[in-house]
Amino acid sequence: MHWQLGHRHSIFCILPPHVLRDIAQTGTEEQRQAALDTLAADSTFRTLRAIRLAAPVATAAPSTVSLSAEVGTGEAKQLQRTMFDCHNTGRLPGDPVRAEGGPATNEPAVDEAYEGLGATYDFYWETLRRNSIDDQGMPLNGHVHYRNRYNNAFWDGQRMVFGDGDGVLFNRFTIAIDIMGHELTHGVTENEAQLIYQDQSGALNESVSDVYGSLVKQHNNDRQAAEDADWLIGAGIWADPARGVALRSMKEPGSAFEGDRQPGHMRDYVNTIDDNGGVHINSGIPNRAFYLAATGIGGYAGEKAGPIWYAALRDPRLKPDASFVQFARLTVINAEILFPGGEERQIIQGAWDEVGVVIQI
Amino acid sequence: MDGGFVYLPARSEPVTIDTAELPTQEADELKRLIEAAGFFDLPEASEPPRGAADYHRYTVSVTDPEHSHTVHLTDPIEDPDIQALIEYLEAKGRESRTTQ
Repeated sequence: MHWQLGHRHSIFCILPPHVLRDIAQTGTEEQRQAALDTLAADSTFRTLRAIRLAAPVATAAPSTVSLSAEVGTGEAKQLQRTMFDCHNTGRLPGDPVRAEGGPATNEPAVDEAYEGLGATYDFYWETLRRNSIDDQGMPLNGHVHYRNRYNNAFWDGQRMVFGDGDGVLFNRFTIAIDIMGHELTHGVTENEAQLIYQDQSGALNESVSDVYGSLVKQHNNDRQAAEDADWLIGAGIWADPARGVALRSMKEPGSAFEGDRQPGHMRDYVNTIDDNGGVHINSGIPNRAFYLAATGIGGYAGEKAGPIWYAALRDPRLKPDASFVQFARLTVINAEILFPGGEERQIIQGAWDEVGVVIQI
Repeated sequence: MDGGFVYLPARSEPVTIDTAELPTQEADELKRLIEAAGFFDLPEASEPPRGAADYHRYTVSVTDPEHSHTVHLTDPIEDPDIQALIEYLEAKGRESRTTQ
């Protein structure tokens, strides 16, 4: 089944993105819409091209990551967001309603997604010197009002899609900034490590998204100290707050809502065929390890724990089917590389030990 | 239904709908949705796009006197007729959970 694409204005097709963005912000209503439509089509093309370029190649990422501007392309910040309204249908991409630099729409889902993706870009750029999902300035497309009463947000391999929630179980999925950070990070993980979305590697994939989703929130809270953060994913999303405080707690896995089955220790690891082998369940174990590492080190977690996990994610020794132990080992190795002779290595090894992931190096 | 941003066991519980127990009009509507989706001709499984995460997966089985077919669908579902069927079934699932 193919969706009929909107008409693309021939003049707008040849204009570079920054000119189109100017028109989208300052042109007449007709010009604005034509520019937005063209940007939408252009972004999709760029996205597809970027994904092709991101395909795994033999020459993988460098074995270490430095905290300097060496990481990334060294180019200027290239934030390019486009928000689309699906009008409560399942038709993707929907209509473009806010391009980069465009005014607020006063539509909460649109503006929250726009701000959340901006905060996520800023976190990656300012903390890890990463230029968007592919480190090449890939445009960020958010699609809101997807389907009717849709209780979910997901990453489809190219874009972030957000439902409104049904108002009974969940509120809209743009309500928590860490959800945008979580979804965008799935793109980063696919770009860097292609962690298979099943069993332990899938739980690591989920955990990495929670780690950086939480750090996006902490960065946005004036680089909040680890010990002051709530370490919650999806706070405020329950329509009835009595049902829970969030969807996950990295600090105390299993405590976010009634019926939360997340373990915080390997002795409670859940073997299941549900949820791709428990990717949203067993992610509680590496989530808690990160929380323990970050609070053990102290201060803003984007300074040390975040870059160490990022270096492990980019380490070419990380295999797509990595186990918790294999990933943990790489965090310890990269702690020593980034902070030689420092206490970070011991703290991180101790954090994994505390959740039952024992590493021998 | 399985998957999604968060694992909720209750949402994964199967929902069974017997058209014989539905009002005639609603049973006819469900049959129309199944027919419009071309359900019995759908492939058994649709794989998620590469790198996708947090998607819902739906397992739908339909049995009538002539056919029995099971399909596994993954978001995003592009076909509007299949979407309509899934949204109907999701609504029945919500109804079922609130009346339990």
